[in-house]
Amino acid sequence: MLQFVVSGVAIGAVYGLIGMALAITFYVTRIINFAQGQMMMATVMVTAEVRAAGYPTWAAALLGLGCACVLGVLSYLIAVRPILALNRFSFGWLVSTLGFAVILENAAAYIWGPTSQAFPPMFQGTSFHLVDAVVTGQQLLAIVTAAVLTVGFELVRRGTLFGKIGMATAADPEMATAVGVNTTVVAIIAFAASAFYAGVAGLLIGPTTFANPYLGDTFGTFGFIAMMIGGGTEKPIAAMFGGLLLGVCAEGANAMINSQASDWFPFIILVVVLIVSPRGLFSAGNLFRLRARSVASAQA
Amino acid sequence: METERIEAPRATSVSAGAGFKPRLRTVGVVLFVAAYFAATTFVAHSDLGVQSLVLVAAVFGVLAISLDLVAGMLGLYSLGQGGFFAIGAYFTTIVVNDLSWNVFLVLLIVLLIAGLIGLAVGAMSLRVSGLYFAITSFIFTLVLTVLATDLKITGGLQGLLGPAFPDFPEGFEALGTPVAWCVLLALLLCVGFVWSIRRSPLYPVLLAIRDAERFAEAAGARTSLIKIGVFGVSAAMAGGAGWLFSFLGVVSPGQFDWAVSLNILVMVLIGGINTTLGPVIGAAFVSMFPALVNINPWLQEMVYGALSILAVTLLPGGVMSLLKRVATFGEGAAPEPAVAALDRPEALVEASLFRKFAGGSAGAAQAGAPESEYAVECRGIRFSYGTGLMVLRNVDLAVRRGDIHGLIGPNGSGKSTLANVIAGRLPPLAGATLIKGLPVDGASPSKRAELGMRRTFQAAELVRELTPIQNVMVGLFNLKPGIIRRAALWPLLPSGRRDLAWMEGRSREALEMVGAGAWVGRAVGDVPHGVEQLTQLASVCVAGPDIIILDEPATGLSAREVDHLAEILTHLKAQGVTMIIIEHQTRFLFPLCDRVTVLNAGEVILTGTAEEVRAHPVVRQVYLGE
Repeated sequence: MLQFVVSGVAIGAVYGLIGMALAITFYVTRIINFAQGQMMMATVMVTAEVRAAGYPTWAAALLGLGCACVLGVLSYLIAVRPILALNRFSFGWLVSTLGFAVILENAAAYIWGPTSQAFPPMFQGTSFHLVDAVVTGQQLLAIVTAAVLTVGFELVRRGTLFGKIGMATAADPEMATAVGVNTTVVAIIAFAASAFYAGVAGLLIGPTTFANPYLGDTFGTFGFIAMMIGGGTEKPIAAMFGGLLLGVCAEGANAMINSQASDWFPFIILVVVLIVSPRGLFSAGNLFRLRARSVASAQA
Repeated sequence: METERIEAPRATSVSAGAGFKPRLRTVGVVLFVAAYFAATTFVAHSDLGVQSLVLVAAVFGVLAISLDLVAGMLGLYSLGQGGFFAIGAYFTTIVVNDLSWNVFLVLLIVLLIAGLIGLAVGAMSLRVSGLYFAITSFIFTLVLTVLATDLKITGGLQGLLGPAFPDFPEGFEALGTPVAWCVLLALLLCVGFVWSIRRSPLYPVLLAIRDAERFAEAAGARTSLIKIGVFGVSAAMAGGAGWLFSFLGVVSPGQFDWAVSLNILVMVLIGGINTTLGPVIGAAFVSMFPALVNINPWLQEMVYGALSILAVTLLPGGVMSLLKRVATFGEGAAPEPAVAALDRPEALVEASLFRKFAGGSAGAAQAGAPESEYAVECRGIRFSYGTGLMVLRNVDLAVRRGDIHGLIGPNGSGKSTLANVIAGRLPPLAGATLIKGLPVDGASPSKRAELGMRRTFQAAELVRELTPIQNVMVGLFNLKPGIIRRAALWPLLPSGRRDLAWMEGRSREALEMVGAGAWVGRAVGDVPHGVEQLTQLASVCVAGPDIIILDEPATGLSAREVDHLAEILTHLKAQGVTMIIIEHQTRFLFPLCDRVTVLNAGEVILTGTAEEVRAHPVVRQVYLGE
């Protein structure tokens, strides 16, 4: 029982990071970057390659993250900005970000081949006992890193001028421009940051999955589910809660139903959540809060 | 009786004015269909390689059309098409292979099932609009793919071998491969279907739902029902595509996953969204691309990704916009009539436009309603947005039949909110609203439109890519019965052609009457703000309503246009139309009004004649600025 909660939280932290990565770009530009999973994949592939070339793991990881950030900014400049510049409400980005994902994925398959490669473990060998559950060092690292990045994001968003500029850009880009915000710079930083989050998720999960060019598909989808369950489209931090819930449910399904259950169980959760509360469980505008508000206004 | 008298000259004048063009179009359509049949015969006799290439492209053509139906005309970017496609293909394969049912019976069942599931998904996901609709339909496809992969009956990842298509009956073998005829005729049917809709009066209504939902609603269209219904039709079409696809080979989960749904969107965007042939062109390009560019599969995918980015960034209108630009190249700008719209003889205002049409008026629905002294009554209306302060506190308003009732007050006093409450756009927290003595609390805007109420909006809500005539036609939506039912065959029906000519003629007349007659040939996006306002007014008047709510109708009009507007309104009043006018220009408003209500901070200060209001000390203080 406790065991699957622990491993669920660990894997959920990874889903949550990718969900937050999706949510951060959505927050600023109102688009979903379908290439987000591929940023994570790029980090994993580059890190594995550099490590295999004999450089230390930390250098390989840094290079992998840097590479993801560059790709994140490129995805904005190539696949998002030109479309939003033509029409802010156009849906062309559905196609162009997917096109970008297709390019990255197939480029990786072309360079490294479709098979998996070794990935360096980040935190070797150690494991701890928590009552009757075993926590590996890798899992602990995932949980701690996710917690730090989540809290960090929220501190920056609420406490700094840049965070407030981001909120203003999210609410109304034209108005933000009118008061002197350079929305392009804000968006570039948001895309770099979100690619960084996705890349960190890749480093945390890489030792388990190994380096494979098609990683982005699976984890991109699960990150997306995490965001939707949590309600990350309204509040990026909610995507992390969604991810944790998703991870625990998927691991629980594996333990309780059968070992394949985590393939389809998350989708059931997603459908149920969307029927009950279309904007996600932890968002500001969800069903429960809305009802509370209308009750309050009826009393007024 | 009068209907006919007005209809007849209108119909002749329209067909006399452009008698040559429709005939040319008929010839064009006949030629197109003949060429299409010739091509089909050719494909049906080709070898298997060519056939499978063309037929798969044609199936995707049907899918792309089904997506364009909702994405192009209603702005609903469905990523669920792959899911409906899968339902059709798997159902057909399993039922025909295992139970050997008749394939054409199965087609009917498939259309029904996919359509019903479409209605259910639509009803559920349209609660949340825009991007959420795309996401919900995306999840629908995800779930179906997972089911297809994990269930036993669907054959897992390997999939199932599709059934064989039945042979032609004796004597028809010379036609070639039957399945080729079936697929290509289905594509032709779908093209014909959307072609008809684009030529029916339903088309402007659909675009109005897409771009200006409040406008469509105020014109009496039940927008959410129409959206769900059209999505159901689109789902049935995608299911039918799945039926066709099952005869072409193996049916496996990879052919229906979310990437396929997005590819269908790529096809629509590459070909040209909201065009009849664009989706088919896009589908042909995307599905034939791997056969045309025969290189390393990874490189090929990369080229495809790059091409789809280039297509949506460099060519947002798709191939069709490029073709259109080439076709109109060298013609130069079409000559536009001078902007002398208002130099028309005033006699036009006397046009018989507002005469009540027997059985055809927007206000005819309430036969037998109790006669009431008041056209609109509000009793104790309270309203607030969210938890904020009360915008309307206990507002009472009584508008007498046939009056022009002014509604004035400082910005933020609740005038537009009150108009929205009366029109059914906003539900009040407390209080009752009566229209012609009938309680209408809880009735939707379209229900209230059926009672003969029409309204305009402060910021004009119109479809910018359509002409003013087409926009005004939206206002006629519920005056002709069966527009939705007949839309699929509209240009082929004599009644359809007659009704369209009547609607066009009447809309043109309404535009001339309000003084925007010179602008009928342009898209609304290209006309000045004043003309937008006049188009809005025309779209309201054209239906011959009993009650009109005008929200700042004089905004953006020149002094001359304002004078003309006053004249139009006086004339409407003479026809017995009741009006509620929200306006800041008291010099324009007061001479027109029988009574004026002054609102301040959500409360009625005073209701009285213009003189009483002008003389009232509090009004002079809070509003007239003394």
